[in-house]
Amino acid sequence: MAIGKVHSSKKVLAQLLLLALPTVVLAFYLLWDVNRFYNILQNEWIEQGLYFAAGIVIAIIFYSYRFRFITTAALLFLIYFIAYKILGSFTVGEFDAFFASVRFLIFAVLFSIGWITGYGFSRSRYFTIFWSALLLCIQVIVVSQTTDIKANEIIKAFAPVLAYAFYIIYTAELIRNMNEDEPAFGWFILKRMLGFGLVVLVLLFCILSYFKDDFNSIEKEYGNAQANYDRNKSNGESMTQENKDGSVSNKDQTRLTGGLNKGKRLVFVAKLDNFFRDSITPNPLYFTAYYFTKFDTLTQTFERDSLMPDNDLFRPDPSKIPLYFAKTDSTVIKNTHATLDRKVVNTEVYKVLLSPDEYLAPSTAFFCQPIPIPNEYKDQFRSAYRAKMWVSDLNSAYFIYNPAGNKMLEEFQQQRFDVLRKVNDFAPLDKKFLSYYTFMPSDEEYDKIKTLSQQVTANAKTPIDKMIAIRDYFLSKDDFGQPLFKYTNNPGIPGLPSANKLTYFLFDNRKGYCAYFAGATLFMLRSLGIPSRVAVGFLTENRSSKNPGWYWFYEDQAHAWVQVYFPGYGWIDFDTTIPDVNTQQAPQPDGTPPLNMQQAYFVADGIVTDIDTVTKRMKMDITKVLLHDKTFETKIAQHITMDVSLATVSKDTGVVPLSTIKKGMHVTAASYAEALKNITANDNDSIPSILQKIPNPVPVDEIKIIDPESKEQQKKNETAQQQQPIDWLNVLWITLIVIAGLVLLAFASPWLIMQYYNVSAKNAKDKKGKAFRTYRAATFYLNQIGYFRTNLGPQQYASDIDQRFNTSFTQFSNVYQKLKYSAVPLTSNEEQTVLSFYKPFVHQVHRQVKFKTRFAKFLNIYNTIHYFTQPKIS
Amino acid sequence: MEQQIQLEQTLQNIQKLVTNIETVIRGKRTQIQFILTALLAKGHILMEDNPGTGKTVMAKTLAQSISGANGGVNFKRIQFTPDLLPMDLIGSHIFDDIKKEFIFKKGPLFCNVLLADEINRASPKVQSALLECMAEQQITIGETTYLLEKLFFTIATQNPIEMEGTYPLPAAQLDRFFIKIIFGYVDEQTELDIYNDYLGIQNNLQNIQQVLSMDEILFLQDEAERVSVHEEIIRGVSNIVRGTRIHPDISLGASTRSGITFLKCLKAFALVNGRTFVTEDDLQILTPAVIDHRLIYRNKEAKQKALAAIMDKELDRLSKMKISG
Repeated sequence: MAIGKVHSSKKVLAQLLLLALPTVVLAFYLLWDVNRFYNILQNEWIEQGLYFAAGIVIAIIFYSYRFRFITTAALLFLIYFIAYKILGSFTVGEFDAFFASVRFLIFAVLFSIGWITGYGFSRSRYFTIFWSALLLCIQVIVVSQTTDIKANEIIKAFAPVLAYAFYIIYTAELIRNMNEDEPAFGWFILKRMLGFGLVVLVLLFCILSYFKDDFNSIEKEYGNAQANYDRNKSNGESMTQENKDGSVSNKDQTRLTGGLNKGKRLVFVAKLDNFFRDSITPNPLYFTAYYFTKFDTLTQTFERDSLMPDNDLFRPDPSKIPLYFAKTDSTVIKNTHATLDRKVVNTEVYKVLLSPDEYLAPSTAFFCQPIPIPNEYKDQFRSAYRAKMWVSDLNSAYFIYNPAGNKMLEEFQQQRFDVLRKVNDFAPLDKKFLSYYTFMPSDEEYDKIKTLSQQVTANAKTPIDKMIAIRDYFLSKDDFGQPLFKYTNNPGIPGLPSANKLTYFLFDNRKGYCAYFAGATLFMLRSLGIPSRVAVGFLTENRSSKNPGWYWFYEDQAHAWVQVYFPGYGWIDFDTTIPDVNTQQAPQPDGTPPLNMQQAYFVADGIVTDIDTVTKRMKMDITKVLLHDKTFETKIAQHITMDVSLATVSKDTGVVPLSTIKKGMHVTAASYAEALKNITANDNDSIPSILQKIPNPVPVDEIKIIDPESKEQQKKNETAQQQQPIDWLNVLWITLIVIAGLVLLAFASPWLIMQYYNVSAKNAKDKKGKAFRTYRAATFYLNQIGYFRTNLGPQQYASDIDQRFNTSFTQFSNVYQKLKYSAVPLTSNEEQTVLSFYKPFVHQVHRQVKFKTRFAKFLNIYNTIHYFTQPKIS
Repeated sequence: MEQQIQLEQTLQNIQKLVTNIETVIRGKRTQIQFILTALLAKGHILMEDNPGTGKTVMAKTLAQSISGANGGVNFKRIQFTPDLLPMDLIGSHIFDDIKKEFIFKKGPLFCNVLLADEINRASPKVQSALLECMAEQQITIGETTYLLEKLFFTIATQNPIEMEGTYPLPAAQLDRFFIKIIFGYVDEQTELDIYNDYLGIQNNLQNIQQVLSMDEILFLQDEAERVSVHEEIIRGVSNIVRGTRIHPDISLGASTRSGITFLKCLKAFALVNGRTFVTEDDLQILTPAVIDHRLIYRNKEAKQKALAAIMDKELDRLSKMKISG
């Protein structure tokens, strides 16, 4: 029996060009995308795309003949099987066989998917829907594998698939309903496709631009949340956390676990103006992020406590403070109750990987001032701030360890110990304060720690001596001359799941990383009644001999250590972690520090009211002004015009083009212009008077965009202890509203079309156009309220309608037919008919059909669809 | 101009003719129009239905309504039977005793309006003889060719093919009939009227007025050729004809000759309706009458739907078509 054709060659060509080709293009894209995440695919996306393409093309051509799917699929699998067997007999060696079979498997799977897709396009009507859903699911999985979830990334992942889904469902239906005998088949399809493409583009564009802000805010929220994805797929803990936007922060809790992961990337660079008395030798200080004052014994986790007494933690969000404007909190200085040997020290932190909202400074910081990054370094650093700290002279990264034979440093250590030995008694401390910082859980395990610490410090009299004794204990050697404790990133875990990890560390394992040492020290100190806490942040290493006072911070410098409180001297850093003998040092930093800071003469902070990127003029309503370090604020926003032709625009994430600035944004503009150098302000000045002094427009060199976020959100961020979930309810609402809007539009469409016809009938100029549009409006209206023309000639239809509604449709229809098919001119009577038909007609129908019925009918989009669809022949 | 006036005059007469016939044949306006269409298109018509639905009366009335040179037009009626021979139709050579030669005695075919009753009862031989005459408008016997009358119009009737003792007309023969109409029974009200007034109707039949002359018919036949057909209508005809050829339920589609016939009928039908241009309505009404009997369907169910679907698609196209200008 000859095998008949299902589709004509025209249709097959259309399927190949319009269905298969876009599918293959998308498949290439998806395969490329997927290849990034699955090693097994071996990055051969081009070959894989070709397998798929071959499958789909062959299947479409094949199934345009009357072949059955099940038998052919069985045959295909038989061919696979035979090919696999033959392949097996050709390959030599186990590795070769494995390699070949993996490749063959990939080929077979992709070819089969292509084949099934081809079959679906050729034969199955609903395949496209299923196929689109499948692709979207794949995309969801792929997106869930990525860490850098940004709105752009998500759009990049979903937009092509979504657009494709719309396209393929539409086009498949279009080709399906195609009459290939139509002479202008190709043109017809092209026309439809163009129209459709336009509609989809407009829709996508509208959606994207409308929801841009929402996307960004979701991205922002998401970016600040901790990434769930663990790069190394291990259960290891890290001292830093990677945020979803790729930046790094200190974790606000530290859990004792079996392993620690450390990266080697540069996190930030800092300049610290802390020197020894000789003013030459830099005195590095540890950079603190948080203090951990609580320990959760159940999860073995050190935690922050916002209720700690005499809170001396200053944690502003530098990304929310306008450039050059400072945020100060003097209560933290008061809360340290430290007056002896204290001074104010400056530091400048240049962030590389560090999250823009992160604030790190040696304790005790009380001041934060975002500063711009000098132009030459803009690609290197993302943002920067200046901080001021109330620093103890006794504090140093060298406090306990390795002055490395440097006599001056050893001397200095000794001097400091001597000073601290004066503190012998914690009695003058507030009871509440003391009991809080010496609290420890009481059970057998902690009693063991207490016993140990008493043993270790038996000979020590003062708290500092006890501290040194504990340090010495960690450094001591055992009976065989081997170090008692070892540093390791992978200490392992005790055999019992809920066992106390600290006692395991102290008595059995004796291996661990900083958190173990800090934790053990903490409880040893507390058991002796010495107020202490764990601090986390970055340890500072003085490696740069070229630029004294500059320090480089890498990921593996994230650290935990202990702070001990000495009445009068305040909190002092102590690091009891022993050096890691096995690992190499981080690569010697040899970067150039960002020098030549420019002096800003004039800084204004406010809301952009107008921006012209062509003439480079920006208008702002400002509320805060800084002129030569003098700050002025006003409640009434003042208007100012700026010349931004030379300005560099930046965000926390780096430099952005001028066009990023939009009306309504909160920005800070700074000017280094010489013209402003000599303009000074006195105490009597106010913002309006300053604006009078300065040139108009003011030349501006630096613009920093401050992320729009409400005050409430800011507060929430500051105190937020846990990650913020995405407000799915909001997303749901938006989705629902969009869907509801679309549904409403769909149901309103008959009415809208009717209005369009009405208007076009009313406005038509010539007789012919008028007649045509009127006829069209009338037939659409009748069709919509349920009187279909099906199988009736115009006259018959018209006379049916006339009988039903007592109108003069027949008369009009006849005139219309005459106009349409003959060159005979109309009589004046007939012209009158054309002009005066529509209104009474509609009126008559209105009278006969109840409003309720008409309303219901106008909601029925099936009638509308019926009006526009061509009847099918079979 | 004069022709225009004459045309309008005759168009009115046609309406008169329709009304005239309607006084005798009640409730059959469309069928009357179809018959006149076939007449003006210089074609012939086939009426199919059960006996007693008024076919013969219709033919007779039509013949009587047209005035010829001597009274009415020449109307002949042949009752077809299985034993009918071709010569019974066309006539035969008879030996003239006086002149001592064979003279041709003209058969009933030499007339203006011929009613071929129950055409499918005669043997195929007779059927083909008749149909050839209808097509050629002439009869050739031996060496002599005899022209038929200038106005030669055949109204054939046939019983539904399923009935016993019939020889169904082959498709090629059916193609010669321009229009085939199903007469059908009238609706209840009309039937009651007929019963109430059958005497009056008989009276009407006897006193039928001659409203149209044969010359006028011939004039209209010429005029029908001149009716303007919009190119979209021609495309519509073409689409319908071609549609029948590719429709999966139709095994034999319409021929090109059918298309031409269709066009002729469309023009004539427009005239019958008093128009000088063809509209979608004409297309819609005529399609089943002109095309249906030429098609061979694959199955019975398709018979109702296939052509209607093709036509509906075409009507949809035409009705949505934007008028030029």
